[in-house]
Amino acid sequence: MNRREILRLVGSALAIPALWTLDPDQLLALGRSIHRRATRLRILNPQQSRTVTTIAEHIIPATDTPGATAARVHEFIDLILAEWYTDEERERFLRGLADLDARGFVEAAPSQQIATLSGLDAELQALRDAGANERAEQHFFHRIKYLTLWGYYTSEVGVEQELRYVMIPGRYDPCAATGLGNRGGD
Amino acid sequence: MQRRYDAIVVGSGMTGGWAAKELTERGLNTLLLEAGRSMDPAADYLEHEPVYEFKFRGLGDRRHEAARQFIQSKAGPFEEQTAHFFVDDVDNPYTFPEDKPFYWIRGRHLGGRSVMWGRQSYRLGDLDFEANAREEIGVDWPIRYRDISPWYDHVEDFIGVSGEALGLPQLPDSRFLPPMALNCAEEVVKEAMARHFGGERVLTIGRAAILTADHRGRAACHYCGPCWRGCATHSYFNSLHVTLPAARATGRLTIRPHSVVHSVVYDEQRDRATGVRVIDANTREDLEFSAQVIFLCASALESTRILLNSKTPRFSNGLANSSGELGRNVMDHTMGGGARGTIPGNEDRDVFGRRPNGIYVPRFRNLTQPYPDFVRGYGFQGGGSRAGWTRGPSERGFGAEFKHRLRQPGPWRFTFYGFGECLPRPTNYIELDPEKVDAWGIPALRIHCEWGDNERRMMRDMADTGAEMLEAAGARDIETFVENNPPGLSIHEMGTARMGRDPRTSVLNAYNQCHDVKNLFVTDGACMTSSACQNPSLTYMALTARACAYAVEQIRQQQL
Repeated sequence: MNRREILRLVGSALAIPALWTLDPDQLLALGRSIHRRATRLRILNPQQSRTVTTIAEHIIPATDTPGATAARVHEFIDLILAEWYTDEERERFLRGLADLDARGFVEAAPSQQIATLSGLDAELQALRDAGANERAEQHFFHRIKYLTLWGYYTSEVGVEQELRYVMIPGRYDPCAATGLGNRGGD
Repeated sequence: MQRRYDAIVVGSGMTGGWAAKELTERGLNTLLLEAGRSMDPAADYLEHEPVYEFKFRGLGDRRHEAARQFIQSKAGPFEEQTAHFFVDDVDNPYTFPEDKPFYWIRGRHLGGRSVMWGRQSYRLGDLDFEANAREEIGVDWPIRYRDISPWYDHVEDFIGVSGEALGLPQLPDSRFLPPMALNCAEEVVKEAMARHFGGERVLTIGRAAILTADHRGRAACHYCGPCWRGCATHSYFNSLHVTLPAARATGRLTIRPHSVVHSVVYDEQRDRATGVRVIDANTREDLEFSAQVIFLCASALESTRILLNSKTPRFSNGLANSSGELGRNVMDHTMGGGARGTIPGNEDRDVFGRRPNGIYVPRFRNLTQPYPDFVRGYGFQGGGSRAGWTRGPSERGFGAEFKHRLRQPGPWRFTFYGFGECLPRPTNYIELDPEKVDAWGIPALRIHCEWGDNERRMMRDMADTGAEMLEAAGARDIETFVENNPPGLSIHEMGTARMGRDPRTSVLNAYNQCHDVKNLFVTDGACMTSSACQNPSLTYMALTARACAYAVEQIRQQQL
């Protein structure tokens, strides 16, 4: 994936015309929640942080290697929300979290959480199948899955333990058996 | 600091490094002026820095880019790891008409764009040098292949170019180090092309200024991948770690960074360039340095800008511009027509190591038979690879099974990506902007450049022929594409002080010497009379070395 593809996936909001539609009360609550942030996190409040961490761990769980929580993916997502996303992108992302919180996502049993995320994944897939690419890119589950994968595979845990990234191969084998290099490609 | 030298070289990149090496090795005390900062490979090269050491983990500082590098960030090799190799677009402005975007990609630091260049290295041949005369387009090149061929040898012997000899008339072979290997998918496509197209369309490994064997004290490539971030082992060629150290070793080189050249100083009485006027980028001090011979190697558009800004009563439209051609005939390769598809088979195979090079398909249009849709031709770059974890966001699913699935590579994908010749046209030109100045008060450029019908038709043909070759290889899911890249983005801008035989229609003679000002040379891409379709840096280097040898010989004979 090259830079331009990354921008197309993550940065599509540059082309979105209208500010999105929160009602005034929600905006106020959003503003307060942003200002009640934890000292370490700048955007996500403790509730939002729990939600993000829970979703990220469902997307990339600990298996024979550590998962998203151990890779501190929620801190990467907080950085992107604070310094990379546009205001619109950030608000849309937080709205997605608020929707899940309103449904008691974090308190639900893990199986229920997975069912909820599977529903979102199916929604996203339906948009893609219908060719609604712009709406698919804006979909909350696409955004959090993208940020989770990026945050995980570019973390020290992801690079060293999951990918087992070979920084200096020392040679080029053009047709090697799979699995010789780092897992999960370059 | 000393103010008088035998030679002044403006610019320290691809050609400035060569000029510094050749002039100092031939005995001239040389001052090398670099507009940007000095560089320290130990601190500035980041190719072995893991991605988790970067704040945005390779996504780039998007807000900084939007504010200060809104043009540079469009360039292929621009990324979070290399942003410090590209200029600040606010300090280094230029303008273009709203309907004619031009992306001017620049590096102002010791080594210039040779630090993050693409390393593809191809000779031009007589098919290219004779084209303008044959088709009565622009002016004739004042040289032929036999004139430049020994200088290609000279440059290749020094820098090291890996590749495969093919004996093709349209793409003369270099003096090669061993070629890098094609991967499994590329072998499949190569064999299919040989079956379907005979010798008409040939696939070979890219010819690259990357060492495949130890060479002149530099180590062979270790296949870490991102050459454009620098190279601790100096395995690819750049000016910073190859030509400049050679020049330094003579004891005759003085490098002055932070030296923004404002103009060339011309003495009307003596009809000579006497030196250059420099603005110190830090102190804003106005300085003058003088020399017997001056080489402009600042990149095509920067060298031209310096000449346009060097007005005198005799040269009221820019120094050495009695022809009126200075600034005209801007060219860049038209880039990004092609096709991609999935190559079945070899599912249990993958590459080990990150080969910083791809495939090349030499030009096959308009070789012996005229092709009706356009003149000239194009070559393909690209290659085959299997996707890694980055395909994850576009695939359905999550959880343990998903995570473990991403450990397996995706299908073999193959891309043909075309680079086509651009014709010289006087209507594509640069001038000094009447209002805009850069951070040092020097007039900015206004660039007027757009593709013509010949380039547009060529781009469509790239998509068609790319798909034909993939079909021949049995590829699935073939998609064609014709990207809408503005000129400049190939970073092969050239042609604005062209070489020619006639001082009335060209700026430079056969030795890159200004027709009008004999001790002034321009050896970067500005000199190009036509663009050919090959990546041009190797040709710039060969022309520079040749011009330096000529200049020193002229000085010896007291002709300069």
